[in-house]
Amino acid sequence: MQNKKIISIVLGIMCFLLTLGIFVQIRTVNSTNTTVSQNYEENNLRADVLKYKERYENKYKDLEKAEAELEKERQDSTQNNTELEQKENEIKQGNKIIGLAEVTGPGVIITLSDSKRDASTALDISSLLVHDKDVLSVVNELKNAGAEAISVNDQRIVPTSSILCGGNIVNINGEKVGSPFVIKAIGLPEQLAGLERPGGYLYWLEEATIEVDVKKSNNITIPKYTGVISYEYAKSVE
Amino acid sequence: MVFIAILIGCILGALLGMNAPMISYTYSSYLAIAVIAALDSVFGGINSVINKKFDLKIFITGFFGNAILSILLTYLGQKLNVDIYLAAIVVFVGRMFTNLAIIRRYYVEKWSNKLEKLKEKKEQKTVEENK
Repeated sequence: MQNKKIISIVLGIMCFLLTLGIFVQIRTVNSTNTTVSQNYEENNLRADVLKYKERYENKYKDLEKAEAELEKERQDSTQNNTELEQKENEIKQGNKIIGLAEVTGPGVIITLSDSKRDASTALDISSLLVHDKDVLSVVNELKNAGAEAISVNDQRIVPTSSILCGGNIVNINGEKVGSPFVIKAIGLPEQLAGLERPGGYLYWLEEATIEVDVKKSNNITIPKYTGVISYEYAKSVE
Repeated sequence: MVFIAILIGCILGALLGMNAPMISYTYSSYLAIAVIAALDSVFGGINSVINKKFDLKIFITGFFGNAILSILLTYLGQKLNVDIYLAAIVVFVGRMFTNLAIIRRYYVEKWSNKLEKLKEKKEQKTVEENK
């Protein structure tokens, strides 16, 4: 009898320890495995992001409406004054150059997307992806080829634009942009299509099995820059 | 008595485990391997009870010794950059399966014997009635 009591107590303690360990382990794994599993919280956050995006788009539409009104007012007030009209045209010209106005014209559409090759067969997996460096180089070559307006996935390239690596995405103008990258450029299409030349940057991207598509088009619309260009330090010289 | 103690232990452990502070993720692999080792010795204990070779001392030392040893081996493996815990898991889980097979066989035989006895009794009864 004494023996049985001891056995039962010992077994009780062991089961206690065992279940304690199992439960602590389950809780630890559950709390730290959030990056792998899509749990409830993550879905909520995603829904929140979508909501905010929608709100942002609504506000942006309002802003566009207000800008259209402003434009109309301006036209009305400058209609019968040649000097003011000239100034107005100057402003329009300036906006076109710095990217604050939508522009349209002939040019090329370059699409860069990640390689479809099986990653396990590649010597360097990194070479199968389109990097910020690649986008930057293509934009640079387009500028060299005489492009007048450039956009990457509808992000207008302006003088203050930056193209940065952001992990699995690329940050352009502070906005997240992912593969495939659709780079639109307005300029002389034949000249811009010269980017495909052997030995050019696109040639090397194709060599690295990245999907490159260059299309000439007579009618490309490039959206305007949606951010604010602020100049705090640069003062004009009188 | 034994089953009551086991049940109380399990319930208490579950309750405390749900409210206990979480351990950091770096140590959770040690806890996991210790849990596997402990489970292995529990199944070994049940197996030895079935074979009527149960020894409390061996059971206790196996329970704690296996757990601690597996933790130490995992630690050593991490220091040497060898996944020793994989070997420990293979051994423990493999033994768990063999133990479970022995337990299953024991109970299946027990029940099939009982069923056969019942059948024999019924047949005897019908024979007697027919007489």
